Amino acid sequence: MQEHVQLTQKEINDDLLAPVLGMPKWWYGAVGFLLLVIFIGLAAYGYELYWGMGVTGLNRPVMWGFYITNFVFWIGISHAGIMISAILRLTQAEWRRPITRAAEVMTLFSLVAALSNIMFHVGRPWRLFWVYPYDFSRGLFMNVRSPFVWDPSAVMTYLIGSSLFVYVALLPDLAVVRDRATGKYAPTVYGILCLGFRGTPRQWKLQGIAGILLSALVLPVFVSVHSIVSWDFAVAIGVEGWHSTIFAPYFIIGAIHSGVSAVAMIMALVVWLYKADRYIRPDHFDAIGRLLIVVSTTWFFFFFLEWVFALYTLESPEIAMRELQVFQNPFWWLFVIFLLTSYFIPVPMWLFKSVRRSPMWMFITTILVNIGMWLERFLIIIPGLARRQPFEFDWGSYTPSLVEILIVCETFAFVSLGMLLFAKVFPLIPIFDMKEGMILRDEIRIGRRTVPASIRETP
Amino acid sequence: MLERQGTDMADQKWGMVVDIDKCTGCQACVVACQSENNVPINEEGHFTQRRAIEWIRIERVWEGEFPDVKARFLPVFCQHCDEAPCEPVCPVYATYHNSEGLNVQVYNRCIGTRFCANNCPYQARYFNFWEPTWPESLKNQLNPDVTVRSRGIMEKCTFCIQRIRRSTRDSDREGTELEEDNRALSPACVNACPTQALKFGDLNGHLGEEAAEHLEGHGGHGDSHHGGRGYHMLDSLGTHPNVIYLKKVDPSAEEVEAHG
Amino acid sequence: MASHVDVKSHQGHGEGQYVPFTTQEEVVSDLITKHTKVSDKWISGVVAAGLLLLLGVVGFAMRLANGMDDRVVWGYYALMFAFILSTASAAPMIAIAPRIANAHWRRPISRAAELWSAAGLFSLLLFIPMLWILPPLNDGRRSLWFFDPDDPVYSQVPIYTPHIWAALAILGLVIVGFVLLWLSAMPDLALMREHSTGFRQKFAAKLSGNWVGTTGQWNMLHHRMGIIGAFYFMMLIFVHFLVTMDFLIVLVPGWIDALFPITHAANALQAGVATVILSMIFMRQFGGYKEYITLEQFWGLSKLLFALSLLWFWFWFSSFNVFWYGKKPSEQAVLELLMVGPYLISFLAGFVLSFLAPLFVMVWNPVRKSIWGPTIMSVAVLFGVFFDKLRYYVAAYSVPGIGDAHVHKHFMDMDAIPKVHMPGLPDIFIILGVIGGAVFFYLIFARLIPPVSIWEQKELMLYKVHKAYHRTEVFVLGKPR
Repeated sequence: MQEHVQLTQKEINDDLLAPVLGMPKWWYGAVGFLLLVIFIGLAAYGYELYWGMGVTGLNRPVMWGFYITNFVFWIGISHAGIMISAILRLTQAEWRRPITRAAEVMTLFSLVAALSNIMFHVGRPWRLFWVYPYDFSRGLFMNVRSPFVWDPSAVMTYLIGSSLFVYVALLPDLAVVRDRATGKYAPTVYGILCLGFRGTPRQWKLQGIAGILLSALVLPVFVSVHSIVSWDFAVAIGVEGWHSTIFAPYFIIGAIHSGVSAVAMIMALVVWLYKADRYIRPDHFDAIGRLLIVVSTTWFFFFFLEWVFALYTLESPEIAMRELQVFQNPFWWLFVIFLLTSYFIPVPMWLFKSVRRSPMWMFITTILVNIGMWLERFLIIIPGLARRQPFEFDWGSYTPSLVEILIVCETFAFVSLGMLLFAKVFPLIPIFDMKEGMILRDEIRIGRRTVPASIRETP
Repeated sequence: MLERQGTDMADQKWGMVVDIDKCTGCQACVVACQSENNVPINEEGHFTQRRAIEWIRIERVWEGEFPDVKARFLPVFCQHCDEAPCEPVCPVYATYHNSEGLNVQVYNRCIGTRFCANNCPYQARYFNFWEPTWPESLKNQLNPDVTVRSRGIMEKCTFCIQRIRRSTRDSDREGTELEEDNRALSPACVNACPTQALKFGDLNGHLGEEAAEHLEGHGGHGDSHHGGRGYHMLDSLGTHPNVIYLKKVDPSAEEVEAHG
Repeated sequence: MASHVDVKSHQGHGEGQYVPFTTQEEVVSDLITKHTKVSDKWISGVVAAGLLLLLGVVGFAMRLANGMDDRVVWGYYALMFAFILSTASAAPMIAIAPRIANAHWRRPISRAAELWSAAGLFSLLLFIPMLWILPPLNDGRRSLWFFDPDDPVYSQVPIYTPHIWAALAILGLVIVGFVLLWLSAMPDLALMREHSTGFRQKFAAKLSGNWVGTTGQWNMLHHRMGIIGAFYFMMLIFVHFLVTMDFLIVLVPGWIDALFPITHAANALQAGVATVILSMIFMRQFGGYKEYITLEQFWGLSKLLFALSLLWFWFWFSSFNVFWYGKKPSEQAVLELLMVGPYLISFLAGFVLSFLAPLFVMVWNPVRKSIWGPTIMSVAVLFGVFFDKLRYYVAAYSVPGIGDAHVHKHFMDMDAIPKVHMPGLPDIFIILGVIGGAVFFYLIFARLIPPVSIWEQKELMLYKVHKAYHRTEVFVLGKPR
């Protein structure tokens, strides 16, 4: 990085352990507020459990609404972790270092939030365990042909893989905390958690190999999870606008788009809340901004392809559904907002270096992106259900109820709270990663110029 | 690719023939079905919320411009498709195809994901958003042969499987043949229809012969006057429904002239 | 921990590194010598390729003698056009993408990849007959251009729109490819201008303009190469989109596969990597570039080939799953035509060679990190690409037109599925001829422009140094912004 700051190892330890060993001033307020939102949301869910799905705005034909939209959205956000950690690690991009753990942790909590949305969505959640691959003394296993069985398999695999990923990367930092924690039980607990990591060469080597192997192995899972979630829609022939082969890559690129944007948001928040501006520097925002330009343009191309193929056969059911999506109330202004926020406002802004390097502008533009991507899922699901052809007699509409809105807010609060609690107990910016980056950083002088460089192991 | 279910299995393959020409849209079938199958009472609020449950519903389609407006009535209910799109998507096997060609819904297995409702192209599936309740006085009219569903469960037309079972049991016990036009076998809607627009029977038996006649020369564009009026709804989706509809016969110009 | 390293004393050198000499002058003179010497191997290569090209022309003439109205017999020609589009036109991406990612291993092979734009010129020539083979919009089928003869608005679209746009796109791609090649070669052409004689010197002088290597010129060069590179990628995707839509998908009613333009482009990237790997092995064995094109290059590209082979499967399965699951008759007919019916063998060959073999063989690191492993896999992948495209193109071109009783504008009956169309003698000639032609164009251009990028090698020597680190020695790689 051009403007790197040379820090000693002690400085790094002190800075990055401060949130763990101390208590930031705003912490209690933030956690209290989030707990309140979660509590209200869970109370709303209790209401839904007692009275039934009727408390939502769902009806016939719109049988899927906010919960499924939210489910797909959180699965999308969860793709950020792997993108940043695994892919950037395998391509040896140095700028990933301060943000890998925050991204991975966001993945973990997003996946749990996504799974909770399934629980909110089904009519009899106390029987949801029948999806599990065991016959529960009824002699009946789950139906492996159903996309709703592929979903939990993929999401649980991804959850386990990501957890392992976070854990393996966390080991050296847990050792650092163990060595500096005070209190009666903390050192023991951290000591057990870090599996006795001492920093011997062999342990470092094993930890490194484990990290690379997990990076490579979790990539197919990453690709398959959102493909499978997209097939919830794509294999259905009964709804217009769903039966398209492009859904798998389209959803994945959309997930990368919204996930990487969410990581940029988290980066800005970490800089502001934890005063980490020496670690997450404008160069990092610049790099993620440039990645976002590529990702969002690719996403837009997929979106364009989806529309072209939906329309080119000139079949009236599909045209009727698209016409609803683009021209009719209430979808048309949602569609306009979606286009503007997910692509046409952020991307032209990101073309400017000053915007890319500013945490505040990156925060604002990426919030817009995520609003747009949430709306994108909504616009895929609801219009297709509302005007199913050819039974015009059964056309419907959908208005979300207060219960649904509160529960969706609860999922956002849950993920935020999870990350805050994680940052309190474990260091959010990976200490060993930052130190490794410092060690590997070097410079080459060519004539009178100095070029930043990085030390590589000899092939 | 996949062999049709319900063909080389048991002897019966239950199906229906619906004559659109005879349907007057009176909705007697809807009422009969509701009372036979313990369908929850649909108050006005249920209709405005779009949560009314009508296992058989009459779709009304307006055709033409004033003063030549015509109303078409189309009874729509579960088509018991051989390649039902609702079946593979249920995660818990709450809906499957039985050996008699029926698409059965297992109420106590359903967890209410509502995927089947989305994938049914005929929108013939209904979800219990609320817990169904009946006033005390009406509890006596509930049919003891049919489960009363709770909230969170999908339901749909079953071809009155309870009547099929009862008739089959009775004929087995008495050693007689199962007659297709037996009123105790036919679903409630078929019995209630004043114009006999609905016919029920065995597509491997008499009804099947009748249906084949109607579908002959078909390709979806049958002649209007002599046979060939039959068609399957949404044929191009390849669901292979077991319900055959007979097209409405519009009177020719001379007939209109002659009748004034 | 930063320490400044004096570049002169620690230049990259030694076995297994990609710069075999210690000073820039040595590298330059070595590469120029290799380039200007006309070797016997090159001559025999050109002659062989030229003969195959002639054979292809003969086959083409044989087909042409029967006219261009019968689309069925031109299926193999369309296949080879798509094959060249997928292999040669995609190869320059191997130069563009690693350049953006600052991956230094691309340096010895980037020019070899960019030279395939020359074969892109050949693809333009191959495209011209396609304009006659493709029917105009008013033959009843649905197309990307929303032409509907019954609709007063949509019928205003000119009926030769797809032909015009596809021609413009391919022309644009070829032009951008040449511009990229020219930009990338400019510093080397300036070197040739100084160091060579005769025709080559005149040619280099004309093309290198007033390049002298000032700082401004270098900055401008890097900047422009970045932009043109991105532009080439966009043109490539655009060309694949138009060719798959107009020249393939719309010929099969009911084949509404929104993913297919992307599948086609991703398969092209896989084929492009395989093409570059094969170019590398030829340059090593016959071009004498053994010290420059080393294990490092093969390792880097084999990782890409492995990842793209996995991607092949993912795209294929995404399309297949959606078509297979819904059991719609129109889609079942398409699966029958393209996969499990008359072209089953072709599909299986493509599946095994493009995916299964690369997966099970290249998952092992020793195979990836060898020279012959990726080479053999590239041959397999190229055969796989051929068979995969065979089942698409030959099948699609043999579908009866919309006038047929079993073919509607929205779907195709199972009865309309044609039998397998085997290649005739002219088709075999065309297949061989197209491959020969592409290689012919490549070899001719490799004589004019140095196939190993001299200036990138020099840059590498500046950016890569060895230095002592405590008691060991590491190498340091510059990562300029």
